[in-house]
Amino acid sequence: MILLEDVHFAYDGLYTALQGVSLQIDDGERIAVMGSNGAGKTTLVKHLNGLLRPDRGRVILDGVDTKHYSVAELSREIGLVMQNPDHQLFLETVEREILFSLDNLGYSKEESKERCMRTLNDLGLEGLAERSPFTLSGGERKRVALASVLATEPRVLSLDEPTIGQDARQKDKLASMLSELNEKGKTVLVVTHDIEFVIENFPRTVAMADGRIVADGPTNSVLSNTEVIEKCSLTRPQLTDAAMCLHAIFSDVPQRITLLDDLEEAVVNVLGGT
Amino acid sequence: MSFLEVFQYTRQDSVIHRLDPRAKLVMSIVLAIISLSFLSIVPLLIIFCCLIPIIAAAKSLRRWGRSMKGLSVLLIFIIVFNTLLSTATNPFSQSLALTLRLIALMTSFSVFFLTVHPDELSQALIQMRVKFEFAFAMSMAMRYVPTLGREAYAIMDAQKARGVELDKGNLLKRIRNIVPIIVPLIIVSIRRALSIAESMESRGFGASEHRTYMNPLKFRSRDWGVVIVSLLVLAIIMYTRLFIQLPPWALWQLPI
Amino acid sequence: MSLIEFADFSFKYLGADSLALRKVDLKIEEGEYVVITGPSGCGKTTLCRAINGLVPQFHRGYIAGNVIVDGKNTRESSVAELAQIAGLVFQQPENQLVTLNVEREIAFGPENLGVAPEEVRRRVEELIDMLDLDHLRDKHPHEMSGGEQQRVAMAATLALKPKVLVADEPTSNLDPKSAEAILNLIAELNKRDMTVVLVEHRLDLVSKDASRVVLMDKGRLIADGAPRDVLTSDLCQEIGVGIPKATQLYKRLKKRGITLDTVPLTGAELAAIVQEVKRR
Repeated sequence: MILLEDVHFAYDGLYTALQGVSLQIDDGERIAVMGSNGAGKTTLVKHLNGLLRPDRGRVILDGVDTKHYSVAELSREIGLVMQNPDHQLFLETVEREILFSLDNLGYSKEESKERCMRTLNDLGLEGLAERSPFTLSGGERKRVALASVLATEPRVLSLDEPTIGQDARQKDKLASMLSELNEKGKTVLVVTHDIEFVIENFPRTVAMADGRIVADGPTNSVLSNTEVIEKCSLTRPQLTDAAMCLHAIFSDVPQRITLLDDLEEAVVNVLGGT
Repeated sequence: MSFLEVFQYTRQDSVIHRLDPRAKLVMSIVLAIISLSFLSIVPLLIIFCCLIPIIAAAKSLRRWGRSMKGLSVLLIFIIVFNTLLSTATNPFSQSLALTLRLIALMTSFSVFFLTVHPDELSQALIQMRVKFEFAFAMSMAMRYVPTLGREAYAIMDAQKARGVELDKGNLLKRIRNIVPIIVPLIIVSIRRALSIAESMESRGFGASEHRTYMNPLKFRSRDWGVVIVSLLVLAIIMYTRLFIQLPPWALWQLPI
Repeated sequence: MSLIEFADFSFKYLGADSLALRKVDLKIEEGEYVVITGPSGCGKTTLCRAINGLVPQFHRGYIAGNVIVDGKNTRESSVAELAQIAGLVFQQPENQLVTLNVEREIAFGPENLGVAPEEVRRRVEELIDMLDLDHLRDKHPHEMSGGEQQRVAMAATLALKPKVLVADEPTSNLDPKSAEAILNLIAELNKRDMTVVLVEHRLDLVSKDASRVVLMDKGRLIADGAPRDVLTSDLCQEIGVGIPKATQLYKRLKKRGITLDTVPLTGAELAAIVQEVKRR
């Protein structure tokens, strides 16, 4: 369990990025962090693995203040995949890229090798093991970067903007992979602008604005709150919009719908029998 | 790195900012030559007292002060070591003069860099017949250096998150740790450069022999004034340096 | 004559294993708003580059067939010449801003082509006014948000007075609000007679404004037509292109035997169409 207690942070002590963030992340949760650019989302996730340390307040991992751990130690527990895969990849082959992460965390040769193979298989990258990361497509590079973090089997996996530049099919793949990991007991946390991706895959949403948490709760209720949508520079997803438009005409259509199945039922009911 | 601020353009509207960059270049070079012509405390103090009003006219005194404060440790260091190691007859006075000269030199150039917009600088160079591609490359460098810095930090964070411990281990290990930072930095920079080139190409970069400027730099009378005064002062100083013996008060040294 | 005409055009980048574009035939008329979409690596970006001559002038490779833009063959014309017909806006706003203030940025293109200073000034003022950039006039790129940067990049492209605006995923790095603003601006430009070619995979945001949707896969054009026709074809699912939820619902209802009169592209359209059916 991760606990953030009233965390304050300012870059260079000047540019305020977090002003009193408190958050509890339980094991096995799936959480989305949303908000406009500069709301403090990335700053928040960087506090989880110690890349940034709070100016005030505490970050507590399983009852112990994380100030007692180094970034490397925290990284074994909390994996962070950054937005741009090009910021991590630098070795000649995909396989060595993944072994590098494992080496850093001090796993034995055999164990590393085995974990590497397992991760490549899990992500459908086994065919690319000997390829150079730089000759891969953007989507593939993104998966390699993810694999290099995933191979260390952290308990918590946090991803910064994983859907940028991914097409619909790649997004579906990513979603099913994340839910599989989650079923295996991993906590998954994403920072994203992609509201449909969140609605379909994340039961809990934390909405941020100006370095504060403005809403935290079940995704459906957080993201159907017009005020939150406005504050976080989000736009209403088409499905919600359709439901609201229908509700305005037919009062028996519920105002808040987030699943296509539900909308379908609602429309069929309205048209009754036709 | 705050002492570098004094070489960074500041958006202001001042008499100095409005001068033509070429006039300012002449002025800065003249000021620098003058600072280099003396190595005794009194003349350098006089030069220093002339520079301060110029910085003030550029509305940048506070920034200049901050830079000097950032530099103070280094300056004290220079004075102490020079005094201890110098073989001159009056080491302390000489070190003090050296330091004053360094400050005067920095200030002379900062007049230029504080007040000339990087884009204006490349434009001035081009109008001075420097090859366009070269001049533009310079202003592009200024444009993208901060971006590169930000990228370097992002890469360091990404590698730390993979367990790279940048500040641990012996020297060899530390040197080896640079590789995971440098390689991605080079690669993202090349990618970025390509993408910038593509965008510039799409906007006709280098297409016409006769590139125009929306605001062509114009030498006004005040610019000529600055150039003439600068050259006049330079001539006088050079004359005094070469043909006239400095009076004893100008060579005054501290009694220690 | 069409404004843009791809005639049996194929292209392979130097050093690549496979063709980026395969026998593309495409005609785009003046005033159209064409959305190009398809899975990653389908050749959308190459298609954009081929319109203003970046392919084959800047990105070299093997070519077959021709692209004719406003009567000019892109094999024979320079990118600078073509830039005055087709203006490109790219994905990364930051990489398109090469100077340190907005006025200079907009002036950069026309200055490069040797346009007279008074005319450059006139265009700069006009675009600052039209794209609402006055508050950014003296701003440094670092001081602007991604959305603001992209707005400036669009102004800088429009300063060359192109006949067609080609935008390659201009909103993929922006937050939803800024993305919406940029897409609204593009639709607005189209209403003012600007021809638009837009690469975008979030069809729920753009298909309502588009006059045409082109689907691409593996370097080929596989569908081309009115948004309502293309988006309801099964090809979208096959190649993995996400269609608007309202359109998805239309298809689901059809399977259940309920056929709506028209294909909805937005939530509001869906509601109106359902109301129409109900009334009968």
